[in-house]
Amino acid sequence: MAIRELSSLEKYLGLKKPNKYTTQGDRKVPVLQNNNGPPLVGLVTVACHLVKESKRAELLGSSAESRAVVQQWLEYRVTKLDGGSKEDVRTILKELNTYLEDKVYLAGNQFTLADIILYYGTHSLIVDLSVQEREQFLNVTRWFDHIQHMPGVRHHLPPVAVLRNRIYTGRHH
Amino acid sequence: MGFGDLRSSSGLKVLNEFLTERSYVEGFVPSQADVAVFDALSAAPPADLCHALRWYNHIKSYSSQKKASGSVRPGGVADSTDSAPKASSKDEEDDDDIDLFGSDEEEDEEATRIKEERLAAYAAKKSKTAVIAKSSILLDKMEECVRSIVMDGLVWGQSKLVPVGYGIKKLQINCVVEDDKVGTDILEEQITAFEDLVQSVDVAAFNKI
Repeated sequence: MAIRELSSLEKYLGLKKPNKYTTQGDRKVPVLQNNNGPPLVGLVTVACHLVKESKRAELLGSSAESRAVVQQWLEYRVTKLDGGSKEDVRTILKELNTYLEDKVYLAGNQFTLADIILYYGTHSLIVDLSVQEREQFLNVTRWFDHIQHMPGVRHHLPPVAVLRNRIYTGRHH
Repeated sequence: MGFGDLRSSSGLKVLNEFLTERSYVEGFVPSQADVAVFDALSAAPPADLCHALRWYNHIKSYSSQKKASGSVRPGGVADSTDSAPKASSKDEEDDDDIDLFGSDEEEDEEATRIKEERLAAYAAKKSKTAVIAKSSILLDKMEECVRSIVMDGLVWGQSKLVPVGYGIKKLQINCVVEDDKVGTDILEEQITAFEDLVQSVDVAAFNKI
């Protein structure tokens, strides 16, 4: 799963030569063997490395604050999302929903790696949500729909159809 | 895509509903339609219309970014966006403002706007340019002029008319560009040279082949 994400990320970044990845342990942590240096372990580590390699450092945030926010969400992906259980899913979605109420992207007004990585991470969750639940987490749905439509981001993941007309309008808050 | 009078609270409510599930007024990228609606708003939406407020702050950050980066010709963008939305927002009610653009054949108001926008920092091999025409008659002429721009490494593709909203249409034309030979700057300059017909140029999409 993580390896596919990294190759999608490579395609998005326009990196010409795809890297070879291996995995480590039961949790299938991705490993990138660099020619010269030590191997890089971990989804976030490798992803950040790829971004820097493709000279798209702005994807990591353009100010110190936004860089910190990007790192925060990258960490969130690995600790909460990947490590979480089924019950945590609702908590995660609620958190994301509240957070995204006044932001278009996770870092505020700029599209960053955090959006990409969290998009990959939440895809399986969103797919399983019922229509009612999607309307409950309206901001997450909006953000998700936005990211999946961005050119070049969605490679290996099927698009999730988001209904335009809200059915459960009474629950809008 | 009318939101009603955006200076009234009912119009703002419609906008808010619309933006509940969308990040931008049209499609998934910021466009002139967003700028048009943004300018039509007299002030920031109230905090209880959280989606409108979110969108407003987002578009606001774009305009400050654009001006700061200096990649936009401020005169061109500011003037065209000021004049176009004012005319277009009134367009819903009366047709008098069509004279602003000198075309009174059509019920639809068509305005030429070229906006310069940097969507991606990386050079593109293929890019789409959107050029907005003054009137339906002049549109063909304008397309001719655009196609007459001949450069080594530039090939024009198909074109189509795309409605932008508020009765405004733009000419969207494809072109394949080789990075080394042609830069989008040069291309946009040449298109903008047809000052009478072309108000602004916008690069709608960059695709690398």
